[in-house]
Amino acid sequence: MLFLQQVSNGIMLGSVYVTVAVAFTLTIGVLNFLNFTIPTLFMLAGMLAWALSTWGVPTWGVPFVHIGPMPWQAALLFAVAATVVASLLVERFTFRFLKTRYGDATEHAIPLVSSLGFLLIIENLVRIGYGTDTQRFPGPQADMSVNIGGIFLRVPQLVSLVIVLGIVAGLNWILRHSRIGRGLRAIAENPDAANILGVQANKLVPVVFMLTGLLCGLAGVLFAINYGEVSPQMGDDIGSKAIAGMVLGGLGSIWGAVIGGLIIGLTEMLTIHFFGADTVQVAVWGLLLLTLFLRPQGLFGHHSIGKGKL
Amino acid sequence: MLLEVTGLHVRYGRTHAVKAVDLHVAEGEIVTVLGANGAGKTSLLRALHGAVKPAGGSIRFAGDDLTAQSSAERVTRGMMLVPEGRQIFVSMSVHENLLMGAYLRRDGDWARDLKSVYDRFPNLAERRDMPASVLSGGEQQMLAIGRALVSRPRLVMLDEPSLGLSPLFVNNLFNLIKELNRDGISILLVEQNTAMALEVASRGYVLELGSLVLEGGADALAGNAALAEAYLGDHAAKPEPDAA
Ligand SMILES: Nc1ncnc2c1ncn2[C@@H]1O[C@H](COP(=O)(O)OP(=O)(O)OP(=O)(O)O)[C@@H](O)[C@H]1O
Ligand SMILES: [Mg+2]
Repeated sequence: MLFLQQVSNGIMLGSVYVTVAVAFTLTIGVLNFLNFTIPTLFMLAGMLAWALSTWGVPTWGVPFVHIGPMPWQAALLFAVAATVVASLLVERFTFRFLKTRYGDATEHAIPLVSSLGFLLIIENLVRIGYGTDTQRFPGPQADMSVNIGGIFLRVPQLVSLVIVLGIVAGLNWILRHSRIGRGLRAIAENPDAANILGVQANKLVPVVFMLTGLLCGLAGVLFAINYGEVSPQMGDDIGSKAIAGMVLGGLGSIWGAVIGGLIIGLTEMLTIHFFGADTVQVAVWGLLLLTLFLRPQGLFGHHSIGKGKL
Repeated sequence: MLLEVTGLHVRYGRTHAVKAVDLHVAEGEIVTVLGANGAGKTSLLRALHGAVKPAGGSIRFAGDDLTAQSSAERVTRGMMLVPEGRQIFVSMSVHENLLMGAYLRRDGDWARDLKSVYDRFPNLAERRDMPASVLSGGEQQMLAIGRALVSRPRLVMLDEPSLGLSPLFVNNLFNLIKELNRDGISILLVEQNTAMALEVASRGYVLELGSLVLEGGADALAGNAALAEAYLGDHAAKPEPDAA
C-alpha cells in the first residue's frame, strides 16, 4: 500500500517534470535552442503565486501600482499570465535581437548564453524582492483528499494531472494538425524552405515562447499547490530533472517528454521508498546515462533533431 | 512587365555572387538563366524571392517594388520559388507538404488548387498520407512543384529542377513546364541542361561569374557554339541517374 502511495506521488511529481520538460522539448524541437530561462520562469510563477496571495508585488515605493494581496485563485491566474509576459520579454531580448534575419549568422551560443544571463537576472531579482527563504503557499492544502483503497490522492494533484495531460494533448494536436503547427514544424525542419513558402519565423517564434511561458507558469503554480511551498531555488532541481526527462524521452518529442518526465518522477519516488533519499540523484542520472548508452536518441527521439538552424 | 530586375547585386562577405544583373520576364513567358557551377544562378533566384538580401539594385513584380519585402510578401503577390535540391519537408506527409504551399492562402479557393495538383500528379494523390521521404527523386520534384502550385503563383522560378533525374523524368519535367506555361503561369527557369532549357524557353540569359554575358532568343542561343564551349561545359549532355 505504501508502495502504491509512492507510485501515486511519483506520478504527481512527474507531472510537474512533464510540464517543464515539454517546454524544453518544444523550444529545442522547433528552434533548436536550449532555453535556460525555463527553470527560472517556473520558479517565477511559483514565487509570484505565493507573493500575490500573501503580500503582493514590491513596487519599491512607486505610487499607485501596489498589487495584492489577493485570493489564491486570482494569484494563480496572475502568476501564469505574468510568466507568459516574462517569457515573451525573454524572446525579445535573447532570440529576436540576436538572430540575423538573412544568411546563417545565428550562432547557437549567443541565445544560449543570453538566456543563461536572463536566468541569473530573474532569479536574483526575485531574491532581492522576496529573500531566499522557502515560503508557504496558502492554497488548498492536503485536507482536500480522496481515499481510494487506502491510497490518498489529493484533489489538487488529481486536477493538476488532468490539466497537464489536457494541455499536452492540446499542444500536440496544434503541432500535428493546425496551420501554425505545420509552420512551426516547417521551421524546425528547414527554416530556409519554410521562409521561401512564406512562413515568417518572426511571427511564429513568439508563439513558441508564449507556449513556453504558459507551460512554465502552469508547472510553477501546480508545484505551489501540490507541495504547498515555494522558494527562489525551486527551479534548479526541477529544471535539471525536466531536462533529464526530456533527454530520456527523446529531444523534440512531446510524448517523449511526457513519458520521460513521468519515468523520472516515478524513479525518484520509488528510489526514496526502497533505498532512501540519498540515492535519488544516482538513480535518476544513472538511469538517464544507461538509456543514452542503449538508445542515444532517447525513447521517442529522431536523429534529425538539432539539424535545422534558424 | 511581370518581373523587372535592374542592377541586382548579391554579396556574401567578400564573395560577389551576382553583379549588376538586368533581367525581365513578361507575363506568359518562359525565360531561362544558364550558367556553369558557381555562376550565381541560385543566388540570383534567392535574391529575387527575398531569401537573400540583395546588396543593390531593384526588383519589381507586377509593377510594385518588392526589393525590400519579405519572401512572404512575394508569395502573397504571386511569386514562388522551387528551390535547388527540392527542399521538401521529409518529416511531413505528402499532403502536409502541399498544405505548406497554401500556408499564406487566405482565400477559400486553395482547396480547389490542391485538388488540381492531385489531379495533375496522380502519383502524389496515391501517396497522399505517406511520409514525403519515401518518394523517388522524380516524385519529390513533382511534390516540390506541386507545393509551389498550391500557392497559385503567377511566376514560378525553378532552380535546376532536372538535377539528379533520370532521362525519362527529365522529359516529363520539361513537358510539365510547358503545360504550366500554357495554363498561364510565367516561368523563370535556371538550368544546366542547356539544350532542354532552350527548347522550352523563348528567351535566355547566360551568367558567368555573376555577370550576364549573353542574352537573346532561345533559338539564337541554342545555335551559339561559343556558348556551349565557353560557359556551360558539357554537363548538359549527361543527365545524372534518378536519385531514387
Ligand atoms: N551562403 C553563401 N555564403 C557564401 N558564399 C556563397 C553562398 N552561397 C553561394 N555562395 C558563393 O556564391 C557563388 C555563386 O553561388 P551560387 O550557388 O549562386 O551558384 P550557382 O550558379 O547556383 O551554382 P550551382 O550550379 O552549383 O548551383 C559561388 O562562388 C558560391 O561559392
Ligand atoms: Mg545553384
